Amino acid sequence: MRIQVIRDGGVSGVERRAALDTEGRPDAPHIHALAREVLSSGTRTASFGVPDGFHYAITVDERGTVYCTEPQLTDGQRDLIGLVLAQGR
Amino acid sequence: MPCTGSSAPGAVPPYPRPRPGRAPEPTARRTVHDGHHQHTLPGPVVRTEGSAPVADQAVDHAYDGLGDTFAFYLDAYGRRSVDGRGLPLDATVHYGVHYDNAFWNGRQMVFGDGDGTLFQDFTGCVEIIGHELTHGVTQYSANLDYQGQSGALNESVSDVFGSLVKQYALGQTADRADWLIGAGLLAPGVQGVALRSLKAPGTAYHDARLGTDPQPATMAGYLDTEADNGGVHLNSGIPNHAFYLAAEALGGHAWERAGQIWYDVLTGGRLPSDADFAAFATATADAARARYGPGAELRAVQAAWTTVGVGAGVGAESTAGTSDATRINAPLRPA
Ligand SMILES: [Zn+2]
Repeated sequence: MRIQVIRDGGVSGVERRAALDTEGRPDAPHIHALAREVLSSGTRTASFGVPDGFHYAITVDERGTVYCTEPQLTDGQRDLIGLVLAQGR
Repeated sequence: MPCTGSSAPGAVPPYPRPRPGRAPEPTARRTVHDGHHQHTLPGPVVRTEGSAPVADQAVDHAYDGLGDTFAFYLDAYGRRSVDGRGLPLDATVHYGVHYDNAFWNGRQMVFGDGDGTLFQDFTGCVEIIGHELTHGVTQYSANLDYQGQSGALNESVSDVFGSLVKQYALGQTADRADWLIGAGLLAPGVQGVALRSLKAPGTAYHDARLGTDPQPATMAGYLDTEADNGGVHLNSGIPNHAFYLAAEALGGHAWERAGQIWYDVLTGGRLPSDADFAAFATATADAARARYGPGAELRAVQAAWTTVGVGAGVGAESTAGTSDATRINAPLRPA
């Protein structure tokens, strides 16, 4: 499974993007479960959020893209975003 | 300390100045909370209005920056806090872990500590605090839609008044100000001076990890993009530079005439929430004329917008007394 996160907005206006491939990772089942949860709970359209809040677009394989904005993130969204931005490339 | 501009530690702020026998002057009614690196807002209270500094720089910087912003709006424009009616100022510091952002969530300020690699503590820059609280001012006044050109205007007025908060706190004239947003915010080793420059948009940083400051200074560089709500932090460089040019032409304290004109537009109640650059430019020319007549202020504002490529000669015809039909820059929807 390949998970991509694009983060834009923020007071800096600097975009960040990273993608994580779960193949061969021992924690792949955990990440897959997290990704499925995020896909099913997120909205499919981007929203404008609060001024300078981060916006995230999370794309899982060909299964689709969900959008979320700070500070209204679920724990699952926050965990997945943190993982991909920290360990993805 | 990465940034300067906030009141020096131990300095007596010009507010509040209670006088016996009179109604007390408004105070900022500040409350600073500690997020303890969680994402729950607001978190436990660590400092309240009038209480002594604590052993946490982020708390005290946030407290001082809220006070500087409150004093600026009150003294420069007679505005009582973000909503004009004395809204208490709340801030949470240490939000999240290595969190690279600061934002206004509609009710309060939120500050991250920065990751230490690209960005340092976001409470360290008074113009960032002024920027965020001005999002609150905009929310309670022109309420500019946070997308496209109106979103870039929303961003721009936050940069303009954020910089003016710093200039006011330091007592600087336009020619002495740095006109930077986020001066000192970049971590050591990052090639750059700040996040943005109103004086020279597009020159604030040029770094292998952070990239290059993408801001245009004029309409020739206008960026058509879906990212960042339609480039609200990108195209804000254009109205930012227009403000700088007007302030620089007028000289002296930028908050006094140029800032007053921009403030009149923001709070005048006539700017539509979906205003584009041209509508905003026309409104500033109208505001300059209304407050100062057809003099240096109006000419400086018109020349500034012309230089950045928005509505050449904006408002010029109406100076000559012609009708609204000459206002080619009027918004698509009437005000
Ligand atoms: Zn902003």
